[in-house]
Amino acid sequence: MSHEIEILLVEDSVEDAELTIRALRHNNIVNEIRVVEDGAEALDFLFCRGMYKDRSFAHPPKLVLLDLKLPRVGGMDVLRAIRADDRTRVIPVVVLTSSKEEKDLIDGYMLGVNAYAQKPVNFENFSETVRQIGMFWILVNQAPPPGAFAPSTTPGASTNLARGPVVISRVTGRMHNGNE
Amino acid sequence: MGLIAVQIGTMRQTEEQLLSTRLEKAAASTRKMKIVIVCGNALAVLILLAAGFVINQETSRRNLAEQNLKQSNEQLARRTAELSETNVELESFAYSVAHDLRAPLRHIAGYSNVLVQDYGPRLDTEGLRCLGKIEEGANKMGRLVDDLLARSKIGRQRLAIQNTPLDSLLAQVLADLAPDCVGREVEWHIEKLFSAECDPGLMKQVFANLLSNAVKYSGKRLHAVIRVGQTQQKGERVFFVRDNGVGFEMQYVGKLFGVFQRLHKARDFEGSGVGLAIVQRIIRKHGGQIWAEAALDQGATFFFTIGSPENHASKRAELPLAMEEIHVP
Repeated sequence: MSHEIEILLVEDSVEDAELTIRALRHNNIVNEIRVVEDGAEALDFLFCRGMYKDRSFAHPPKLVLLDLKLPRVGGMDVLRAIRADDRTRVIPVVVLTSSKEEKDLIDGYMLGVNAYAQKPVNFENFSETVRQIGMFWILVNQAPPPGAFAPSTTPGASTNLARGPVVISRVTGRMHNGNE
Repeated sequence: MGLIAVQIGTMRQTEEQLLSTRLEKAAASTRKMKIVIVCGNALAVLILLAAGFVINQETSRRNLAEQNLKQSNEQLARRTAELSETNVELESFAYSVAHDLRAPLRHIAGYSNVLVQDYGPRLDTEGLRCLGKIEEGANKMGRLVDDLLARSKIGRQRLAIQNTPLDSLLAQVLADLAPDCVGREVEWHIEKLFSAECDPGLMKQVFANLLSNAVKYSGKRLHAVIRVGQTQQKGERVFFVRDNGVGFEMQYVGKLFGVFQRLHKARDFEGSGVGLAIVQRIIRKHGGQIWAEAALDQGATFFFTIGSPENHASKRAELPLAMEEIHVP
């Protein structure tokens, strides 16, 4: 591919994905976006395995936009796996979901989410929410240096996570300093 | 001598006769006594038996009653558990329905907007007007759903009761309301309210909803007067919020606190009809009461009590733990 993916949009609703991309494009955020429709595919992408085995950990996305209600592996489990592995721990993750249930908010922050936003029904508000997230995380925020956290520089990184969703539940105990 | 002997003989005879009659009498009396004793004993036994029977009867009746009572109690406990379970189910059902409605609504609003942006130039005024109505409708339903979710959240929330200074709470609410009063003449009369045992976050919402209602429904007055204070009724502290706005007819007072119930046309006064339902829910959760008095075009007064800490405690105990754990991602 000519450009590295800069925004990973984890969204199972085709409509929400289209409206989100449209809102980003309308606000002149032209960065390369990849949409994955469930948590398992998101993990394959982030951990460079399966159909994404040619990707490199040296080029993590600048932003993961994560829905919570996802088929197969849910959003919280994706977040947990991202934060539990040294190679993905620093990737900015913003939850963009329908729910603003207290439990989800607490779980999200406990797992080290960088920001949490509810999708508004009103399209102007929706567009504004997406614009602000895109503007800040893509244009204002300074991402960690690329490759800084690739396996070669952190030999102690756990690699067992890249083997599938079975191990996800085992990593809860390792959730510390995940919020970068 | 012979005479004496005869007389002695007679006396002896008489004595013997007397003796024998006395013996007979004594025997008869002994027999009678025996009969009396036997009869008396028999009677006593009978009475004892009867008493025993009655006591036995009474005991079994009491046992039965006790058993019945126990059964009724168990039944009542079961029914209560069932009811509270149904309540939780209903609440969680309403919650997930409302929650899941947001996605399709967002798509309706979003794609109407896309249509206007991308194909607007090819549509005539009527086409654009219809599209505008679609988007407006979706947005409005979105607000209703969000209000319903807010109300449902209060139902499932645990009260965090603490000693709350109501005056500073009210000051915050008034500061938040300031933008709504810009360009209007609103005369505020705020009495000292002191403090109360309540959940500060929820009580702030009570004042916010009641005061914003007062501001809204007095919007057509050149000079709005809004009064907040407290009085005593039957030894209980009663808070009130009074305005000189449009009021309402008392015959509709029963509808005032219902969800989606509105006593005014949406064209005259914007609103979803959930605000007062939320207020009532919070007050009832605190063990208090709320009511209103009004007359058409002569303003309205809302009264409420906050209830006592014991009421809070019992209400809190009623809230099953499962309610706190409902979670729809």
